[in-house]
Amino acid sequence: MDEETDFDVIVIGAGFAGAATAFQLLKEGIEGDRILVVDRADPIGGKNMTGGILWGRELDAFKEYLGNWEMDCPGIERCINHKKVGFLNNEDALFIEGRFASWDGTGGTEEPSQRSAWSVLRAKTDAWMAEKMEEAGIFVMAGVKIDQLNIDGLEHTSYDARDLTDPSKDSGVGKAQKWKVDSLPRDVVDKIRNGTITGIVQGGEVMTCKVVVIAEGSNSILTRGYDFDTMLHAQSKDDMLLGIKEIIHLGKERIDERFNCFPGDDERPPSGMAMELALSLYREMSHEAWEKYPNTKGLYPRCGGFFYTNEETVSCGIIVQLKSLPEGLHTYDLYQAFKAQPAIAALIEGGEAIEYGSHLCPEYGLNRMPHRFTRDGAVVVGDAAGLVFANGMQIQGMNYAIHSGKLAGAAIGNCISRKDVSAKALDATYTKSLKASFIFRDLKRFKSATKFLNHPSNFTWVPELLGKTANRVFREIGEEKIPAEKVMLKTRKELRKINKANKKGMGFFGIMRLGLLTRKL
Amino acid sequence: MSETQKIGLFKYDVKNGLGLVGYNIDDHEFAHIIVDIKKCDECSHMMCVWGCPAQCYNFRDQGLEHMKFQYEDCVECGTCFILCDQGAVSWNHPRGGFGITYSHG
Repeated sequence: MDEETDFDVIVIGAGFAGAATAFQLLKEGIEGDRILVVDRADPIGGKNMTGGILWGRELDAFKEYLGNWEMDCPGIERCINHKKVGFLNNEDALFIEGRFASWDGTGGTEEPSQRSAWSVLRAKTDAWMAEKMEEAGIFVMAGVKIDQLNIDGLEHTSYDARDLTDPSKDSGVGKAQKWKVDSLPRDVVDKIRNGTITGIVQGGEVMTCKVVVIAEGSNSILTRGYDFDTMLHAQSKDDMLLGIKEIIHLGKERIDERFNCFPGDDERPPSGMAMELALSLYREMSHEAWEKYPNTKGLYPRCGGFFYTNEETVSCGIIVQLKSLPEGLHTYDLYQAFKAQPAIAALIEGGEAIEYGSHLCPEYGLNRMPHRFTRDGAVVVGDAAGLVFANGMQIQGMNYAIHSGKLAGAAIGNCISRKDVSAKALDATYTKSLKASFIFRDLKRFKSATKFLNHPSNFTWVPELLGKTANRVFREIGEEKIPAEKVMLKTRKELRKINKANKKGMGFFGIMRLGLLTRKL
Repeated sequence: MSETQKIGLFKYDVKNGLGLVGYNIDDHEFAHIIVDIKKCDECSHMMCVWGCPAQCYNFRDQGLEHMKFQYEDCVECGTCFILCDQGAVSWNHPRGGFGITYSHG
């Protein structure tokens, strides 16, 4: 600790979590040239893919470095004042739509009246943030992938970086899987898993520091390799979602018009719409797949759709719960079904897809987090630590990433000034403040939301029943009218008949149970 | 709307989608994902094939007898690593500066 290190802190990953950590460290009084931020993308942001909406004004804390980020940052696209949730089946779409004056930050009586959600395109956002970090004096390196962490008393050449995450030749199947690291000498493995982390290794070169911050995002190799999370655990399908999206270019004017957006002026960014949907689009596709691959018969893919307006483009995509993916269905074909649903097709009509991308989303909640957030000389922040909130009405991760970065920055600053960066000291500051923050309180309070979100009914008969019922209740075809409740019961009966696999949970008690789960959302 | 779409079957032209993204492809010796394709012969579920959003895995679904994997189109999402429980997928990020580059994100 007393010997001189190359840097005080090295942050791996220049996303929101990493940038927030770096800025917070500056605020704690750490010199900019003692902070190194590395990112594997060149240009920075090039590897980032998100839905995505940035919720909350967490970035305000860094105004001295970011200025008027809301207006100046090129990746912050539109301020969201218009939110929709909905249910889609192959024909019908039923939306609940809200437009909120207080979300504009100029009107409304709801306090505080402020803009607090923006659609973002992260490639541009992250590149801009990296510029701001450099302006603030922080060392930023692009195109650098970290293979290994440097561990006190262990030559990095004594094991290969890929040993940590490669399956071994004699690996079994399922839970019996083994990794090369398991066959390394015991003392080496011990050091890798519990030694003091003193820096990073890149291309055979060691850079030392007092604390390493792992902000790699949702697909973090280092948290797996260095035992913040075990390999088998990291490989679990539970609560892991795959997002697939296209950026579709429509042009600013067309978006302003189509979605009734405020076009923006000198003080206020253009406004926009955010929409999240429960999808039941896959009955025919699933049945076809089950016929060919009967192993997963009865499994419907549980998918949510999202649709966000950016300044000139829209982000249109789905998230698939990996656990629910049946054999025989390609994830990208699931996206096509969403894109072709008439209500969505109408929104993107005349548009041209300009980018396709995909990313994992760790909706871990409390059950599946890494088993530790700190080691001697290292902490994990943001998505790498699985800090994502979802309850069906909101899905947030970027604000948690920024907030956890802030907490980490404050904790590390404190620990460095006390000259103690042991896991114990970092736990007493970072982990403690993280667990006391709104992040953990949210995750705790909405613990049972996962149960609701993973409930097959929400992706089979619920969207169908709601859509069809609404269709019939609102319609006039020259027949006598029937009360809505009766229409729903009749529709339910029909749906039960269509196929047996779809029937599950449609009984009286099933519906009651589902209803009870919604109380906790 | 095509006939297959009318009955609820959809196909996405993923190669076209991937054509919209920029890549800087690394040499074969530095491939970031290595698949032990011998192990795939025993696999009963081929979840990598179904999960991969970039169609990097081609197998029985394409009428192939053995797994054919190519890392070039990879979007670095990590799905195959999670879905493979056969110990066949060795997953890592590409070397710095290589692989996919999104221009929007």
